[in-house]
Amino acid sequence: MSGLQSLRLVRVSAVSGRRILAARVLSFIAALAVGAIVLAACGFDPLHLGTQIIKKSLGSRFGLEDLGLLLTPLILTGLAVTVMMKIGLWNIGADGQFYIGAFAATAIGLFVKGPEPFMLLLCFIAGAAGGAVWILVPTLARAYGKVDEIITTLLLNFVALLLVYYVATGPWRDRTTGTVASTGRVPYEMPDFFGSLHWGFVIALIAPVLFGLLLRYTKWGYEIRLTGANPEAAHYAGIPVRRRMITIMLLSGAIAGIAGMLEVTGTVHRLQGGISNNYGYLGVMVAVLARGSPAGVIAGALLMAIILNAGIILQTQGLTTAAVLALTGLIMMFTAVADQFAHYRLVRALPQAAATAAG
Amino acid sequence: MELITGILTTAFLAGGVLALAALGEVLAERVGVFNLGVEGLMALGGVTGIIAVTLYPNPFFGFAMALLVGLGFGALFALATVVFRANQVLCGLALTMLGSGLAVTIGKSYSGMPAKATFEKIIVPYLSDLPILGRAFFSQNILVYLIYLIIPAIISFVLFRTRHGMNVRAVGENPAAADSAGIPVTLIRFCYVTIGAALGAGAGAYLTLAFVPSWSDGVVAGRGWIAVALVIFAGYRPFGAVFGALLFGVITAIGYVGQARNWPISPTFLSMLPYLGTMLAMILPVFLWRRLRLGFTAPAGLGVPFFRDER
Repeated sequence: MSGLQSLRLVRVSAVSGRRILAARVLSFIAALAVGAIVLAACGFDPLHLGTQIIKKSLGSRFGLEDLGLLLTPLILTGLAVTVMMKIGLWNIGADGQFYIGAFAATAIGLFVKGPEPFMLLLCFIAGAAGGAVWILVPTLARAYGKVDEIITTLLLNFVALLLVYYVATGPWRDRTTGTVASTGRVPYEMPDFFGSLHWGFVIALIAPVLFGLLLRYTKWGYEIRLTGANPEAAHYAGIPVRRRMITIMLLSGAIAGIAGMLEVTGTVHRLQGGISNNYGYLGVMVAVLARGSPAGVIAGALLMAIILNAGIILQTQGLTTAAVLALTGLIMMFTAVADQFAHYRLVRALPQAAATAAG
Repeated sequence: MELITGILTTAFLAGGVLALAALGEVLAERVGVFNLGVEGLMALGGVTGIIAVTLYPNPFFGFAMALLVGLGFGALFALATVVFRANQVLCGLALTMLGSGLAVTIGKSYSGMPAKATFEKIIVPYLSDLPILGRAFFSQNILVYLIYLIIPAIISFVLFRTRHGMNVRAVGENPAAADSAGIPVTLIRFCYVTIGAALGAGAGAYLTLAFVPSWSDGVVAGRGWIAVALVIFAGYRPFGAVFGALLFGVITAIGYVGQARNWPISPTFLSMLPYLGTMLAMILPVFLWRRLRLGFTAPAGLGVPFFRDER
């Protein structure tokens, strides 16, 4: 007992990235262990499933292509959420902005004719503008009325989903091939460079790096960081807090919109009801995993893409989408807790100090 | 007249789901914890209710089991966010995914079947003879009375009229000060978050045992998120939450009436009404009556984990 008493847990506010990483790896293993036990209890063979996942997702060319296709939207939605986190705000509406970005790009793709490179650029602009428009009302409400952006951005997700569902099953329905709940094929496509992996992936890789550099090396970036850290101080320092907030929020919406545009022109080639595949919500997780670091978004998205890819493989092995969703939730919960555990450290305390700590 | 009574009857019934979930969220947010897992809790409660009444056909049993499951998952969420102080937004989203996914997985073989036992209407003597309100409110199932009158009254009384309630609010406003005053911050947060989660799961059981009444994938349909939004609209007050829920019940009911009467609007657009209505209800008051919002501010400690050793 006395040996135990001289040890106590101390919280450290600043911890190294390495400690966080170690805690995360442990939590990931713990979540997988819990998941494996549940799967075994349901009559699956976790070991067999595990080897299947590794073989099919990382060990084959098709697996890597799929990973890249999943990474593209995840990096961008993760970045969209991170951009807003930098100024101290949450964007839970990336899913809706993704939908509207895809919607706007499809509208241009289906109804405007022109040479392909020019049309792709036009779709890109339309996607960005669509995402920005979708966050406009929450932005103005937040900037001028301090209306909580978490809820307003989130509510618009449902409106966007309904709108896309409406056009995909109604006015824009595919009448030539009769595909259910989907528009016709958008004739303009992002060119591929590695199997089915398109150049959107490269855009997605460049975007966080670019934003990171802007944040670090420009006056604008410095002002954003200061506003995020302490809006009062930023205001007294003469930074136009409201203007910065508006640009950042619109930028965030635009990035999520671009993700939607790339999904249509690069991967799916049609607008359909479930096109967002929850990428917006997963983007929130990617951003939290990245801990506000734009470059970390790529790493967070990679982890998420591996989990999603594993989910797709598990579905071919007889697991439902719902079960995979539950498993993802479990992993996220463990990760969130692990991040906190990384802040604690066992230290040897003097007997008196230990006594006061206990009392 | 007939139309108004019809809309109000559906509004009370539909609003009850949101009201109960929002009351639970009021409890969590009053002690400073933002629970974004309501959507998942409702799914779990809904499926639990259906399975329970299939085993033993009594709606009260189903509802009680849903509350118990809510307590369990609420304790899990509270353990992560209050005891381990993990990020509340991340844990909430994770709980929504875990709950929704688990509910669909467990409920697969129950999907689409009507509930084996449902809450029956109780017609209150004399009061049910009132014009409009008599048919619309005093001829509903027992949960409606509980949700609109009894539960908010209890929460209001405890929060605003007792010493314990003052401590509870102090924990949400300024946990460090509350801690110095000897109030057990972590314990109070843990208990209120857990009880709030139980009410969220109860709202799910209300959905599948009294409102729909059956279970299917996606039956919750974003109601958990609307409930979270309502709490802000309600200014973190129990009766405010109930009133807001009724308002959205009315919007939902108008959508139903529109579909039934073949209004020349696509049902998809009518389904957007509750979400757009919630948005408007959050934004308009701020710009119309700035003064009004002063008494409606969020607890100052909302969303901020409390670390005693970093005081």
